[in-house]
Amino acid sequence: MSFAKSPALAPTELSDALQTALIAVSENAYFVFVEPCEPGQFDELARNGGVPHQPWLRATVDFAGESSGSVEILLPEKLGSWLVTSLLGMESDDALPSSQLYDGVAEFTNMVCGAWLSTLSEETLFTLKSPRVVAMPAGWTPLEPPQEPDAGWRQVSLNEMPMQIRALW
Amino acid sequence: MARKKILLADDSTTALTMGQAVLPKGVYDVVVARDGRAAVQVALDEAPDLIILDVVMPHMDGFEACRALRSLESTRTTPIIMVTTRGEPRNIEMGYEAGCSDYVTKPINGTELVSKVRDLLGE
Repeated sequence: MSFAKSPALAPTELSDALQTALIAVSENAYFVFVEPCEPGQFDELARNGGVPHQPWLRATVDFAGESSGSVEILLPEKLGSWLVTSLLGMESDDALPSSQLYDGVAEFTNMVCGAWLSTLSEETLFTLKSPRVVAMPAGWTPLEPPQEPDAGWRQVSLNEMPMQIRALW
Repeated sequence: MARKKILLADDSTTALTMGQAVLPKGVYDVVVARDGRAAVQVALDEAPDLIILDVVMPHMDGFEACRALRSLESTRTTPIIMVTTRGEPRNIEMGYEAGCSDYVTKPINGTELVSKVRDLLGE
């Protein structure tokens, strides 16, 4: 671990801080509670929790500074649409253009990454790149193949829909 | 009396929409730019009364755009509010070093932003 002002932080603590940032942004800007998933609960949500056959999105924000890395978020399109419509006060996500969906998910990820980095260091200046959002291949889910246990993903639910988040550095 | 003009600069459509939603309806004329370089050009063309400038933008980031605006005669004293996702002191200090007048952090608190806009516009 090489964050200059947080040398004592272990990967688990950095993941905790990332989850805290996710909770803060979700509650303050989107007025939604983030629920950590118990083992198996995430799989159940991804499989049956209102998002079957939903395409998934991967959003990434790269950062650079004394340490460099990225924050990644995986979420079903339906959750992405819900986040965008919630933030903008829209009534329905039926007609949300994909460009607006991707842009809104990118902005969400940008805010989470920035909030996370703010908690790690008061002195280090990090530079964030513009977020990237891509659609995962058709039929892809985070359930197959099974993830490596040390991949660093935190699994949560927002509005009873699944989301995974991790930081890589 | 002519309405005050505000330039919103952000590469995110979502953030621009949010910014416009936060400002009181019908009170200001709002123009937008999608990157730092465009923000400088729009500021020269439109002569806004106040600029709200995101930090993370392509081509020229918010810090660079702020420095460029401060180097130009016509925008040297235009109030600039920097918008950043990070509230750590070093990041804020960097904004002031670039010449910004004030800053807000994302997620934007609408009340806070409008208060700062009004204050900087002398309203």
